[in-house]
Amino acid sequence: MVEFRSVTKEYSNGTVALNDINLNLDKGEFAFIVGHSGSGKSTMLKLILKEEDPTAGEVFVNGYNVSALKRKEIPYLRRSLGVVFQDFRLLPNKTVYENVAFAMQITEALPREIRRQVPMSLALVGLSKKANVYPGQLSGGEQQRVALARALVNNPALLIADEPTGNLDPETSWEIMKLLSEVNYRGTTVIVATHEKNIVDSMKKRVIAIDKGVIVRDQEKGQYEDEVKNYKVYS
Amino acid sequence: MKLRTTKYIVKEGFINTYRNLLMSLASVGVVTASMIILGVFLVIALNLSYNTQKLKEQPQIQVFCEPELDDEQIRTIEKSIKNDSRVKKYTYVSKQEALKKAKEMLGDDQDVVEGLGDDFMPVSFIVELNNLKESQNVVSAFKSIQGVGNVRYSQERIDFILNIATWVQVGNLALIIILLAVAMFIISNTIKLTVFARRKEINIMKYIGATDWFIRWPFIVEGVIIGLAGAAIGFVAISIVYGILWGKVAEGVNIFSLVSLGEIQFNVTYTFVLVGIGIGAIGSTISIRKYLQV
Repeated sequence: MVEFRSVTKEYSNGTVALNDINLNLDKGEFAFIVGHSGSGKSTMLKLILKEEDPTAGEVFVNGYNVSALKRKEIPYLRRSLGVVFQDFRLLPNKTVYENVAFAMQITEALPREIRRQVPMSLALVGLSKKANVYPGQLSGGEQQRVALARALVNNPALLIADEPTGNLDPETSWEIMKLLSEVNYRGTTVIVATHEKNIVDSMKKRVIAIDKGVIVRDQEKGQYEDEVKNYKVYS
Repeated sequence: MKLRTTKYIVKEGFINTYRNLLMSLASVGVVTASMIILGVFLVIALNLSYNTQKLKEQPQIQVFCEPELDDEQIRTIEKSIKNDSRVKKYTYVSKQEALKKAKEMLGDDQDVVEGLGDDFMPVSFIVELNNLKESQNVVSAFKSIQGVGNVRYSQERIDFILNIATWVQVGNLALIIILLAVAMFIISNTIKLTVFARRKEINIMKYIGATDWFIRWPFIVEGVIIGLAGAAIGFVAISIVYGILWGKVAEGVNIFSLVSLGEIQFNVTYTFVLVGIGIGAIGSTISIRKYLQV
């Protein structure tokens, strides 16, 4: 589903964000990417979305060789994935319904398909009643759920969430994480970048830890921090 | 592009124009102002070229035959004028007409020619040329025709008109080009503000997989709506002012005559529509480019 082959990313200012990363995610997996800010986890997501290109190595996503993708083909890669951001990124001048429908309109979907899919997606995140409200009138948690509905409306095989709970209080964060779990349960591969220890620890999913551009740990049913590593530090 | 996408794009363009109403109105104001200035230049240009054209059409060359020629000889001269490919058209002025004109010119002093027949008046041809630049050659050619007494023409006047015509054409073209560039700069700047205010939206659209054209088109529609609205207001303003001006000028006697309102409106309409659409579309395209690079 997602594969990094010896990927190195060096920014033009000389910062090496990723250093020879190898990673493989299978279909249906749920993985956390954890690390401090500046560790390189955002860069990984940027490479998946082709917001940035790797300096060396190759990235494969959903069957696309992302590193070799032409500029004109980028929209089609992005349509094949759902993305959720920390700052929600909803269109302020469109209602909740229109925001979700927009993701289908850009694919030139049939209006009848849109009328069927959008309510389903809104029902999934529990926002059917807020369909005609503008994002500005919603709470942060609700806005994130709209963003999630939008990310899911095209039935993507892969969902990427960049700090999805970064702007939310703990309780709302849990709602979002539950939804992500549910989406994963239905068969969608989910990648979540976060630095929220509580969430990672209690979800017991695959954890990929990045530090200074290197994968320092890749663990099934992992924790946010590595006890072994901590042990070594203190011994 | 599919029909439903086209429908979506046009609708979106209108909605966006309406949602950014204040900004849109400001842009319409700028377009209107530019259009009025452009319209004024256009009106001046049209009137100048109309008047130079009229001056050009006035008879410039008159070929006089010797008074004692008989009809046969005059017909020979007429033939050589008629067969000259450089001649656009010519008018025959008979002895009687010449005398009548002479009397008119003399006015109160008509008695000078009183009692005289029209016999001493020469038959003449008023000649109009296809190209005024050839007048010198034509004149010498006509002079050499047997039986031609004199050829009258005013080189200075012809040169003057030719000069003015060229000058007016070049000057106007330059002014209009400069003005269009200025208008487009102002409009693309105004649209840049709209685009800047919505750069986040553009960014989001890119992230969820919209193609560049899908993002670009509603902005272009918006630009065209603004351009056309400005053009329409400008058109009304120009029409009203020109209508009043035309009425005033028509009342008095003038050497300088004005093009009719209808003709002005026709010219202004298609120029404004083209310019309105053009600057709106190009302005939007230029302004949005930067924000599509995600």
